[in-house]
Formats: sequence, C-alpha cells, structure tokens
Amino acid sequence: MSRFSLPKSTWQQLNWGTLSTPLAFLIAFFLFWLLSPEHRFTDPRNLAAIAKLTPDLGIVALGVGILMIAGEFDLSVASILPLSSYVFAQLLIAGLNPFLAFLVVIPFGAFLGLINGVLVVRTGLPSFIITLSTYMFWRGFLYVVSGLMPISLLRYIPKDSVFAQVFTGQVGPVPNQFLWYIALAVVLGIVLHLSKFGNWIYSTGANVDAARAMGVKVNMTKITCFMILGSLCAFAAMMQATRLGSFAATQGIGFELKAIAAVVVGGVSLRGGVGNMLGIALGVFIIQIIDNGLILMQVPVFGINTFIGIAVILFVILNNLTNREFVTE
Amino acid sequence: MPEQSNNTQPLLQMIDIYKSFGRVRVLRGVDFEIAPGEVVGLCGDNGAGKSTLIKVISGYHQAEKGQIFLEGKEVNIKSPHESRALGIETVYQDQALATQLSISRNIFMGREPTTVLGLMDRKAMADQSMEAMTGLGLKINSTDTLVGTLSGGQRQGVAIARVIHFKAKLVILDEPTIALAVKEVREVLEFVRHLRSEGVSVIFITHTLHHVFDVADRIAVMAHGTIIADISTKNTDVDELSDIIVRGTYGE
Repeated sequence: MSRFSLPKSTWQQLNWGTLSTPLAFLIAFFLFWLLSPEHRFTDPRNLAAIAKLTPDLGIVALGVGILMIAGEFDLSVASILPLSSYVFAQLLIAGLNPFLAFLVVIPFGAFLGLINGVLVVRTGLPSFIITLSTYMFWRGFLYVVSGLMPISLLRYIPKDSVFAQVFTGQVGPVPNQFLWYIALAVVLGIVLHLSKFGNWIYSTGANVDAARAMGVKVNMTKITCFMILGSLCAFAAMMQATRLGSFAATQGIGFELKAIAAVVVGGVSLRGGVGNMLGIALGVFIIQIIDNGLILMQVPVFGINTFIGIAVILFVILNNLTNREFVTE
Repeated sequence: MPEQSNNTQPLLQMIDIYKSFGRVRVLRGVDFEIAPGEVVGLCGDNGAGKSTLIKVISGYHQAEKGQIFLEGKEVNIKSPHESRALGIETVYQDQALATQLSISRNIFMGREPTTVLGLMDRKAMADQSMEAMTGLGLKINSTDTLVGTLSGGQRQGVAIARVIHFKAKLVILDEPTIALAVKEVREVLEFVRHLRSEGVSVIFITHTLHHVFDVADRIAVMAHGTIIADISTKNTDVDELSDIIVRGTYGE
C-alpha cells in the first residue's frame, strides 16, 4: 500500500488552478515595469497609489469571491456601497463619533446582505436576478434620498483626525488601505480555508444537494456569505468616503462587474466550489495593474476596458484549458 | 407482514406508511422491515415509490400516516439531520459528493472535527479518512486528492467510507451501480459485503436485479406505492423477480 506518497498529493494541490493567478500577477507586473515609459510603473509613488486605490474594489471583491465559491452572485454591491456611505455621512451629520458610526454602518451593510440572502434562499430564484433587482432598488432609493448631492465629510473627519489616520493614513511608505486589505484577506482566508464554515462554503458551492444531504446548513451558509459581503461593502464605503473626504452617490458604480471580473481572474469558478483566497486577493490587483499600466502607457482612458475585457477572456480560456488537462490526467 | 421475526428485533420497521404529493398517492400502506446486518434489495419500476420510501426513512419527507420503529422504539424522523443522528445514512447516486473537493473534505462534509481554536482539525480528517478508505480496501495516495479525479467506483467508495466512519446502523444506497463500468460495479458490491460484515444493514435500491441479487439477503419489490413481493434471495431467482417487476403483481 502506498500510504506515504504525500509529496505527490501536495503537488496535486499546487495545480495550475492555484498557481495561475500568482503567475499572471507576476507577468502583468513585469510586463508593465518593462513597457511603461521610464519604468514609471514601478516608481514608488505609482506603486503606493495602486496600493492605496485598489483596496476600495479589492475589499468588495474579497466578499464577492467568497460568495461565488458558495455558488451565488451579488450585483447589488454597487448599491450597498454608496448607500452605506450615505448612512455613514448622515450619522456623522447627526453628531455621531466616526468610530461609533463605523460600528453602526458595518451591521447596516450586513443587513442589506441579509435581505439579499433571505430573498435568494426563500424565493429560490437565481441570485443574479434577485441582486439585480436590489441593485436597482437601492440605487434608485439612494438617488431619491440623497438628491444626488455629495456631502462633504471633512468637517466631521478632518484629514489629521484619528479616524482618517486609521483608515487612510500610512505606515512608512505603505498606505493603511493596503494593510486593511491584507488583514481582511488573511482573516477571510482563514475562515475560508481552515474553518468548518469554510468547508460549508465550498460544499454549498460545489454540490448544494450533497451538502444539504450531509447536514450542511446550506441556506445559512449562503445568507452568511451575503452578509459578509454586505459588511465588506460598508467597510469599503467608509474607507473610500474618508479618503475622498465626502459621500458621493457615484461611489461603487461599476464595482459589481469589475469585482466579478477580478474574482474570475483570481481563479474562482462561476459555477461555484472552486477558488482560493490568494487568487481572489491577487485578481483585483491584476485588473488594477493592467488598468494603471495602460494609463501610464498613454492608452486612452476610455479604451482601457477593452483591454481588460481581452485580458479576462484570455485568462479564463487559458485557465480552463490547463485545468482540463489536469483533471483528465 | 412484519411478524415473521421470532427472536431478532428488526433494526428498522415501517408499518402502513402513506405519503401523497398533492393528489398523487405515492405510498399506499407500505410495510417494510430490515434486520441488523441484513442486505435488502429494493426494486421496482420508475414511479413505484422506491425513492419516496427511502426519503421518508432519511427524513426528507414525512409520512402522512404510519409508524416507524428503530430498534423497537417508535421514531418520528423530521429531517435528514435527525435521520443521521439515529444512525441512518443515505448515499445518493450523484449528489453524494462534491467533485471539486478533496476526499477528506467530502468524508467530513457537514461534520468537520474542530481543534480547540475552532478551526478544522485537518490532521484528524486526513488520518481518519485514510483509515476509512484503506478499511474498504481502497488504495489512495492521499486524502487531499480531489474526488473529481477518482473513478466512479472509487467515488462510491468515498461515499461508503463516509458512512462507515460515522458508524451508521443502516445505509441506504440509491442506485449505487448506475452508470458504472463492470469492474466498478464489482467494487461497489464488495463495499456492500464489507458493510454487512461490519454488521451494518443495507437497503440497496437498483433497477439492475443482477447487481443486487448476488449481495442481497432479501429483495423487496415495489409497485404502485406498495411492496408487492418480499422474498428471500434463496427462494427465488432473477427471472422470477424481473417477471414480478414487469407485471407489477405477485402471485397472480
């Protein structure tokens, strides 16, 4: 009996599916280092800018990735985010301490996620449809209550306040947004890969019937994933509003699809059950690096989505091809 | 009728079970029992009520009328969870496993052991999965292997290793040999014999009489929501049984 062939198994785990995203990250990184004029891409100021701006979308994408592993989508992130930001602004206007407001807005985001989750589980309709509806509902709602007017937050959160420092300051050359992003990715990675609940997420996404038959609380799992995502949207909303110094009704526009693109580049399967936290965390950066690199190469800003579209398709095709080889092996 | 037992108490006894879906009466007064360590083949045409019957046992459906006894005690199984807590495990044909996940994650799905930190005890999962697999005579390199890379027979092995590990008293196999190659069917039948040797009772649902006939002690044939024949495999043969299934009646 070949009981002791662990090396092979470890190697099997390190298949292309896990390695492709880090590899793509490195390739994108070196490509733009090479191609950007005067290597401007790797200029510390440029890298710091990427590290500061990417977590807005990145934090949302972490939750989108987990939810997609559980087999569901959420398009309403693009509305949960600005709505959370609006509630944050209103709480500050009402005189609440920003940290207290933060502690209120995170559960608010989770609550919006709860609504999505319960609707999906109770109606049995595809989450794509449900969250498309809540996306439109909340955005319409936001436009009406906010009158589309931005609200300056600088009076409540001055740039040198503790709150602003905690969320938008920096440690040495590293922006705090990046550190928060890493911290959240690590915590969620532990939940996803090492906890019992993590196995429920994978099981629910991989084979919902099997999971249910084995006693996994699949509905609770899905609802919880929606709630995690809602809280992350609220987190990103406040971090972004603090950086911008204002609430803007345009916050989060386009995030729903950009997050899915990032997560897919991160190696998460659209059919659920497949993906890992490292990939998800890097996927967003790949998209942002392409975006940033092309701007540095003076590609017209409005044409950049074209390239990102191409990159996503190429990556997914390549990923599928190599994965198929791996499975038939 | 369930009084044939002289001394041994049946593990599971179902009396006069009724179940309808809307206006359709799927089960009409089913009497069924199985002894400890017994292998019973449950046969019958599509729509005979086989899967509804096992779903009543496994807690997916609740009977409208009738009683269920487990080891002599009346039970009211309201969910798959309760059924499993009573020692009844069901292995469904396709839906038992998540192919994208590893063997050990599948075996412990929904019942992951945890360490003091509240994280999954992956070492225990790997060791115990390996033990359960080798106990079944299945050679695998590692329990981290993805189930999707296994053959059909090996996959059934994983599903069965799971029920052995969790010390089931009664295992319900739903079409375990469907879509398997001949060699794999033989493997699965070997797993069933292994279960019996461990004292586990098995209800084996199948369309293919030949598969079950070799391993079953008894065959129960269902038609139109009742059990129309319940015969020891010693007293019958495949031809007689297929005749009963096709005609949907027994004894003229």
